[in-house]
Amino acid sequence: MPSMHLSQIRRWLLQSPPVEWGIMQLRELLIGALRQGPIPQHVAFVMDGNRRFARTHGIETLEGHNLGFEALARILEVCYKSGVKVVTIYAFSIENFKRSKYEVDALMEMAKVKLSQLAQHGDLLDRYGACIKVLGQRELVKPDVLKAVDRAVAMTEHNKDAILNVCFPYTSHDEITTAIRDTVIEYSKPLPSQNRSFSESHIAHTIRSRHLSAATPKAGSHSPSLGATSDTEDSVPSASSSTTLHPESPSDPTPLDDDGDGKYRETYPDPETITPSILNDHMYTAGLPPLELLVRTSGVERLSDFLLWQCHQNTEIVFLETLWPEFDLWTFLPVLVEWQWKRRKGVERQLEIRNETDGRTLKIKDR
Amino acid sequence: MVASRETKIYRQDARSKGSFLSPEQREDLLNPYLPAPPLSRTPAPALRKRRSQPVKTFLKQQLHLLVFIIIHTLFSVYIRIRQTYHILLDRVFAILYYHHRAPELIRQDVKNLSRIPGHLSVILELKGEERGTAALGALMDEVAEISAWCSCVGIPMLSVYERTGILKAYIPTTHRTVTKKLHNYFGRYIPSLQVRAPHVPSYLNGGSSEEGGVSILSGHLSILLLSAEDGRSTLVDLTKTLAEMSQRKKLCPTDISLDLVDAEITESVMGEPDLLVLFGPSVELQGYPPWQVRLTEVYHMQDNTGVGYQVFLRALHNYAKASMRLGR
Repeated sequence: MPSMHLSQIRRWLLQSPPVEWGIMQLRELLIGALRQGPIPQHVAFVMDGNRRFARTHGIETLEGHNLGFEALARILEVCYKSGVKVVTIYAFSIENFKRSKYEVDALMEMAKVKLSQLAQHGDLLDRYGACIKVLGQRELVKPDVLKAVDRAVAMTEHNKDAILNVCFPYTSHDEITTAIRDTVIEYSKPLPSQNRSFSESHIAHTIRSRHLSAATPKAGSHSPSLGATSDTEDSVPSASSSTTLHPESPSDPTPLDDDGDGKYRETYPDPETITPSILNDHMYTAGLPPLELLVRTSGVERLSDFLLWQCHQNTEIVFLETLWPEFDLWTFLPVLVEWQWKRRKGVERQLEIRNETDGRTLKIKDR
Repeated sequence: MVASRETKIYRQDARSKGSFLSPEQREDLLNPYLPAPPLSRTPAPALRKRRSQPVKTFLKQQLHLLVFIIIHTLFSVYIRIRQTYHILLDRVFAILYYHHRAPELIRQDVKNLSRIPGHLSVILELKGEERGTAALGALMDEVAEISAWCSCVGIPMLSVYERTGILKAYIPTTHRTVTKKLHNYFGRYIPSLQVRAPHVPSYLNGGSSEEGGVSILSGHLSILLLSAEDGRSTLVDLTKTLAEMSQRKKLCPTDISLDLVDAEITESVMGEPDLLVLFGPSVELQGYPPWQVRLTEVYHMQDNTGVGYQVFLRALHNYAKASMRLGR
């Protein structure tokens, strides 16, 4: 078959050292060129198509996932070299637990192996300055896998240049629910009683003693002169006299006061102060730059419960036909270039609008 | 990019779950492909090298800039061609699949589809924010057209998202416009029509109109008008209510579950649509309610601008996993 010969020759040619070197140089050049324009600060990938790739190429499902991992390594290199700060990947959905036990176990095993390998080469990751974060429901992961996860996370914690978010048992609905729950818990904690240097009981006492000192001379001056005191006047000194009778025990009425205050004092933060940004701070992605580009491979045009809160505003969402194991710089480059092109268009349009409005305000001022 | 020899070794290692190579061997395998260690780690050699580097880095940067400009020049040519191609294709489809305002023709177009969405959602844009009433009129006409197609196809639920939410202030007018359009399509007897918006108490149930009657046989269509407020703000409102309840000890925070949030959001806004059609050139959700797009099929036509029957039809075909051919 001629096509087989051709493909063999092609492969032989592509694998010859000079060609390989040339391709590598070309990649470096292209990545360097990309850096000259704006680069999305936060990119997310839905790595879809490993299984279909395995099916169409007649290899085992697990092998497909392995190739998918290689594609991920390639694309991470491209991202970090071109200046992306945060990459978020959808590694495992909570829904994926519904797949066959064999596949789930194999995927977990793979995650464990890769993460423990990563931990063995901790200093190599430092060269990219990348740290790993795991987003998701930790409780659903088996303890041995969780140990590998924690080790890898701890190992790369100190790196600040770039972040790799691995969404591992994750769904966006779960994330939003957790954020709502955490916010509610935060807002149901009573505010701590303020420790100011003045005590309320002392102030109450001072007021009372002021009343006393003001009332006693009054009572003393009035009663002898008038002799018979009227009812209305009597009521005032009687109130103060009750305190004068026990000046050493002002604590007697205070517990009552404190009790009433105590109910009143358990103040909560005002729920009306909850804003989208507060909810945003309770998402797993709190503090990261906004998501600017979301790529989903294998032609499925759905978000499948991934980063819904983060991607529904100004994120550019791209659906590609390529299967994930085939995803590489050559398929990612057009996406990035188009993103840069749109960004430039957007900036131009904004400038135009600003110029127009500026011109109009000038005209108005002229009038 | 890793050379093939190394790839082969790596794969052998991966297959044996990491027992084929020792950690040192693996590092040797990777070393040539790693970027230089950060400068702070190796201060002495870096200083010596730096003297010869400025020229080299400058030249390199110029080269990169040149390549960047070339890529973008080529790309803008490519995108012009692509846009033209898509516009031409769009015109061809628009001519081949024109609805002629005839429900029979529209039904014919979707006759062979294996499934029809029960809840269709569209994102529309108010064009030219300053023109006011003209833009509003155009938007309303788009809503009316899409509603008419939906009722012809037999989609019972249509939700219209428009970021600013201007339509919510004109529910009766929208209802009147859509009714008029339906009469245009169906003649005297039109499907019953309901227009509403979340959190707005007034909703209009289609009933008598001066031109003709509502026939039960023609089906029912309900239109839901959405805006950016129904997205994040609704989730924030829900959080506020839950926080208040929790402060009054009416609810324990651990009771807040996914199902509770889902039930509340579904009740107050809407459930998940089956199909979301975008009429813009690229996929951007513009603040569309995030909770509801979980499994929604998103359809858009590359480089498309504006509402058209052919886009609507292609979205339905795509949803039913059927391909649309040129020619009926």
